[in-house]
Amino acid sequence: MDKMVAVLGAALTTFNRRKDGSSFRDWAAEATDAAIAMAGLERAEIEMLVVASESDFFTLQLNPASVLANDLGLSGAAAFRVEGGGASGQLAVHAGVQAILSGTAARVLVVGVDPSASQLPAAAMKELYSYSFDFWHEGATGVSATALYALSVQGAMERLGLTDDDLAAVTIGNRDNARLNPNAHLPRQHTAEEIAASPMIASPYRRLHCSPLSDGAAALVLAAEASVPAARRSAARIRGIGAATDRVHLGARTAPDHFAAKTTAMGRACTMADVTPEQLEAAEVYDAYAGAQIQALEALGLSSDIVVDLRGDAFGRGGRCPVNLSGGLMGQGAPVGAIGVAQTATCALLVEGRYHDGLQPATPPALALADTHGGVCTTAAVTIVGQGAAA
Amino acid sequence: MKHTLTLDYDLAAGWLRPFVEGLAEGVARARRCDGCGRVSFVPLRVCDCGKAHGSWIDLPGTATVSRRTTGADGDFGLVTFAGADTKTVARLDGFGPGDRQGAIVRPPSALPAIILRPEPKVA
Ligand SMILES: [Zn+2]
Repeated sequence: MDKMVAVLGAALTTFNRRKDGSSFRDWAAEATDAAIAMAGLERAEIEMLVVASESDFFTLQLNPASVLANDLGLSGAAAFRVEGGGASGQLAVHAGVQAILSGTAARVLVVGVDPSASQLPAAAMKELYSYSFDFWHEGATGVSATALYALSVQGAMERLGLTDDDLAAVTIGNRDNARLNPNAHLPRQHTAEEIAASPMIASPYRRLHCSPLSDGAAALVLAAEASVPAARRSAARIRGIGAATDRVHLGARTAPDHFAAKTTAMGRACTMADVTPEQLEAAEVYDAYAGAQIQALEALGLSSDIVVDLRGDAFGRGGRCPVNLSGGLMGQGAPVGAIGVAQTATCALLVEGRYHDGLQPATPPALALADTHGGVCTTAAVTIVGQGAAA
Repeated sequence: MKHTLTLDYDLAAGWLRPFVEGLAEGVARARRCDGCGRVSFVPLRVCDCGKAHGSWIDLPGTATVSRRTTGADGDFGLVTFAGADTKTVARLDGFGPGDRQGAIVRPPSALPAIILRPEPKVA
């Protein structure tokens, strides 16, 4: 229990496609200002800035951490960028936690940001994402992220007996949750028929099984126990972190349909937190595609009977472990560097009982999980968030 | 503000050079582990057994499709090349709905793409 880090501040901007002339620097500043205000700290007290942004091609800014440190008024603080594909945001959270637990810094700002929607045409983003797999064959072969995820999910569907209805239920559930999230990119009421009629991108994935490209930012202020202000004793605590990798090539894996890196990462986080997966009472899960959410839930061990729990109410808003109350990537949106930071911010707000009306469970979850990955779960990173001292 | 960036890379294949040169000739060049004999295609530098030493071998170039995805993003498969112990992702060019067997072909550009064309089932 001594290995804990307080989440003093947690904030997200709206995730959407910006058409208002604002830039990623504005979004990073907006999320940071809100997180620092919630933390009750002065900027000068921040000793380290960790920035998550997947690619310089998105921002057209090399060394973004130095630019953001300047914009955010953190001159003097240590500043660096963490990158691990789709997992960049969660790995940045881990870097902040590690800095605090090692005694390198007492108060750390983690900012995740990416302009994934408005700065480049969708076709250019798709090409850039194809370089996030092994360029020397998967990239050069021209396979898209959607096609790789599709090749992975087929085995899981066969093994678990999943149908198109199970995939549709993920889209419908996440985008329905998004309707109660004022920051969400795609609050929608979809029907299974509408999903089945959307264009086939890479079978079995149709357009409405895919998460969007979004703009946005999220920020966290993390602190060592000794640096928690009296007014923030009840702040959420990060209790466990875990990360792992799998073979980058789907075909080199023993089971291409199983997100093995997630299982390993979750085991590491649970060991650190001294909990079991069944104890989690809420989860923000990396639903890049509808089926990826199901593969994630299975690999994370959040259910002893995944099919029964999927088709029942275990993961719904009033369920045993509500999943993606934010709407997830499918509903809330996916500014890639911001995703993991946003997931952990959401978990912190949920366990503190401060999340959006209509989504906040009446009894705040004692433990919540943020689950992120890059590639087709090539790099997995999870964080377990628990409650702070009673107010 | 509009801004265009054009980048003209001259990429080196490094340790993957035999593999990349093989693809340019339409040859599936795989890596066989000197320790356990496991054959990987696409090549893995370090085998699952932990050995980093391997030798390059040319596979016959035929492959069997075990998973296939089609749609707006194209036609791709998770395939096993004859003689390989791992699968790989390949672009399927001209495959009919029932085609499961293919053979590697030379890619149309200098990029190391893995492309299969269907070939009749061997009796
Ligand atoms: Zn070996």
